[in-house]
Formats: sequence, C-alpha cells, structure tokens
Amino acid sequence: MSDKPPHIAELRDAVMQFDDKKVLDDCSLSVEPEDRLVIMGQSGSGKSTILRLILGILKPNSGSVFFKQFEITRLKRRKLQQVRRQIGMVYQYSALLSSRDVRDNVALPLEELTDKSRAEIDKVVDEKLDLVGMKDAKNQMPSELSGGMKKRVSLARALVMDPELILFDEPTAGLDPVIASVIDELIISLTEKSKVTSIIVTHEMESAFRIGTRMAMLYQGKIIEDAEPETFKQSQNPVVRQFLSGSTEGPILEGSQDAIAKK
Amino acid sequence: MAEQQQDSTEEALIKAPAIALQEIGGFGRNFLLEVGSMFWFIVHTFEEMIERVRDGRVPFRAVSFFRHAARAGVESVPLVALVSFFLGLTMALLTGYQLQRFGTERLVPGLVSISFTRELGPLLTGIMLAARIGASFTAELGTMQVSEEVEAIEAMGIGPLRFLVAPRMLALFFLMPCLSTISNISAIFASSLISKAYFSIAFPYFLDLVRDSLLIRDLITGVFKSFMFGLLIAAIACYRGLNVKGGAAGVGTATTSSVVTAITVVIGVDTLYNIVYVNFFPT
Repeated sequence: MSDKPPHIAELRDAVMQFDDKKVLDDCSLSVEPEDRLVIMGQSGSGKSTILRLILGILKPNSGSVFFKQFEITRLKRRKLQQVRRQIGMVYQYSALLSSRDVRDNVALPLEELTDKSRAEIDKVVDEKLDLVGMKDAKNQMPSELSGGMKKRVSLARALVMDPELILFDEPTAGLDPVIASVIDELIISLTEKSKVTSIIVTHEMESAFRIGTRMAMLYQGKIIEDAEPETFKQSQNPVVRQFLSGSTEGPILEGSQDAIAKK
Repeated sequence: MAEQQQDSTEEALIKAPAIALQEIGGFGRNFLLEVGSMFWFIVHTFEEMIERVRDGRVPFRAVSFFRHAARAGVESVPLVALVSFFLGLTMALLTGYQLQRFGTERLVPGLVSISFTRELGPLLTGIMLAARIGASFTAELGTMQVSEEVEAIEAMGIGPLRFLVAPRMLALFFLMPCLSTISNISAIFASSLISKAYFSIAFPYFLDLVRDSLLIRDLITGVFKSFMFGLLIAAIACYRGLNVKGGAAGVGTATTSSVVTAITVVIGVDTLYNIVYVNFFPT
C-alpha cells in the first residue's frame, strides 16, 4: 500500500460490463479535494455508473475504485456502510422516500446512523433545509413538491451527514432554466462554503460550465478528455468538439442506427 | 427429400430425451438457485440485525415494527376471522350430516378443533396473509426499488435489509401465530353454532368434547408452523420486492410471483412438515 492515492476518489482501469455491453472500458479517473468535477457524455454512456462504482453499489468487472485510502471494491459490507456515510448522493429523480415527509427524509440518516437526540436532529435538519431554501416545506410530502423542490430536499439529505464528497446525478435535468441556475448556484455555494468535493454528472452544457472546476468527457467507456473548463472548451478532440457544438456531423453518431436513419 | 425429412425427425427423436432432460435440469438449477438466494436473504437480514445489536443500537425503530404489525396483523383479523368462521360452519355442517348417519355426530367438535389447531388454522391464515400482506410488501418494496429509494437508502450507509425487511419479517413472524389462533377460535365457535342448531350439542357439552380431543402437541405444532409460515411469507414477499426489475410492469409481475410463490411454499412446507411429523413423532 505504498502508492496510497492522495485523491478523494479514484477509478483505476475500471471495466464495467452489463450483459454484452461494455459501459466502462479501462476507465481511469481521479478527483482531487475541493474539485467540482463535471463528467459529461452521451446518455447511457456510463456516467451514472461511475457514481455507483464510487458508492460501491456496483462492483466493476475488473479494476479498482478508491475513496480516500479505502479500496471500495475490497471493503466488507459493514466497512462499506461506514465509508458511504462520508459520501452524499443526489439522484436524478431525487429518490426521496415517498412515504415520509420532507423533515423525516432529511432526518433519516441522522436517525439511523447517529446517536443524536430528536432536538439535535431537528436543529441539523432545519439548518440544512434552510441552506437549500426549503425550510417552509418541512411537513410536506414528496408528492406535493415540484421537481426542483425535490432536488433541493434531496441535496439537503445528502448534506445532512456533512459528507466529504457529494455525487450529483443530473442535478438540473428536467428543470426549467431558472430553477436549474438556482440549483447550480446552490451546488457552487455549498461546496465552496463547506469545502466539499463534488462530482457532477450531466449533459447540460451550460450548467456544466457554470459549475465545473474540471471537466471530463466520457466516450466509449473511456475518459477521452480531462481538463479545466477553459482548456476543455478549446479541446481539439473531435468527439469533444462535436459534443460541445451539438452537431450531428462527427464521430459520435458514426455507424449508429440514428445516423443511418438520418441518411 | 422425403428420406432426408425422415432422417431429421429421427434425429430429433433421439435428441428429444436429452433436450427434455436439459430442460428439467435447467428448471431444477433455477429452482435451487432461487431457494439458495432466498435462504441467504433471510440469513443476511438477521446478520445485519445482529451486527446492529452488537453496536449497541436497535436494529430498527419500534414504531416501524408496530406499524407493520398493525397493518399485517391487526388489520387482517376481520378477514381471517370471517373466512375461518365460514369454513368452520361448512366443515361442521357437512361432516355432521355424514356422521349423523352412523350416530356419531358428537365427533364434530373434536374433528373441527383438531383439524383447525393442527392444520387448517395455520394453513388458511398463511394463504390469506400471503395474498393480503405478501402482495402489499412486494408492491411497496418493488415500487421503492424502481424509484431508486432502496438504492438511496443503501447509498446513505443504511442497511436496507435491516431497515426495510427486518421489521416486516419480524412483524409477520410474531403476528402469524396470533392470527392462526384467532382462526382456530373463530372456526371452533362456528362449529359450536352448527352443533347446537343441527345436532343438539349444547355449548357446555361442546366445550367438554373439544377439551377432550385437543392435544397440547397439536396446539404446539400449529403454533410452530405459524411462526414458520410468517417468516417464509414475509421473506418471499420482501425478496421479490427488492429484486424487481423493469418498472411498473416489473412490480406487477413480482407481486403476482410473490403471492403464487408464497402460497405454494406455504402448502409445500406444510406437507413436508406433516410427513416429517407423522414419520418421526407417530401418535
């Protein structure tokens, strides 16, 4: 263990295959402390899979995944559960427990994993809900909230254990531009305030460049570009260029059914 | 051409037993795999609970246990009581008429009470709970699985087995014997009404006859079976729910499969239990 990674999270030559589809193919990626790493890529290119690998919910077919000094792929269930407490995850569809109200959703990790009293829990919940501007919705059920509100509650829930790393799966997908900006700013201010590292998976350009301090492009199971936003914009990689411009001409659609249909 | 066709038919016929054997083998393999994963599912649930207790914390909140106990147990009382009541009535009536021909209708109380305490009570309750509670557990957990709620719980570092499965499993485990007792009482009460109305067996005499025919070992067998059925139904329902794949249709398929599996397993285990019981502990 002499080469202990100094990174917050790292993927080393990860291979992930679902049935006969190779989603990640020798994919390597590392995240430094206080980074806001944006992972971009086509839908279904395996961006969310990277987040699930870091959480240890999926296991790679080969290669290894690290969170700080822990090798996620080798941890026993109990240790893995402890490590997960240092990671927060905001799901694409929020994944709030539909049978619990907002307060109980945010309080859940505290109730289950800490010895805090009810009063202490309430204090933390209030504080986190206040951070995301959802304090008034404390007693509402998730079904009564809009998509953007759910996302914010989900963010509060991810923050409640004061994690070192937060994973965002499409935080602004399906939201109107104004709410999307609100969420983006929230992510920036929260990570700056509490010095958290975050990995954001998205394919929304605008939001990506607003949030990211580093950008990575995932294509055909590999990270083909990994750079600061300004350098990323200037990238000469044809895939990145096509993705940024949103053009239908280029390597991305080549050989795919869509391209054939188009012609 | 005709010769060729004949050849291929013969070839297929030679192959057919092999294909059939392969199919049976495949089916057997899947069956054993399923039984194996169900077994480990129960083991892991208990493991997660024990780990939690070792850490000096409660495996799940009492509120959660009592909520499920109320839903699965208390709210099932009317259904279980009513169905058992009807079955008790029918059983007493039909057997009574047959026995009356031989002048032995006073065997009715014993017949109903023995068959219910030992066999029908737990079995009937098991089937009803598999349909009523098994389906709801599977649908609920399946929906949570589909909407990523289960994964979110796991991602927080909370064991989903102890948090979601354990309270349901224990609620059904402890409530099932209570419900089958209610089923027994309800059926015996029903047969007492029939005995009084049709066969002129007065209540005190009826009670004497019941008391004479009931054996402690029958009662214990019934209660033991009920514990087992409760655990199995909840485990099957939760297992199916947490393994849902494929959205809303998946939840539907899993729910059907959960009910069918649970009912089959309850009847199958009951038969197996009776065979073992009769062979190893003959009266």
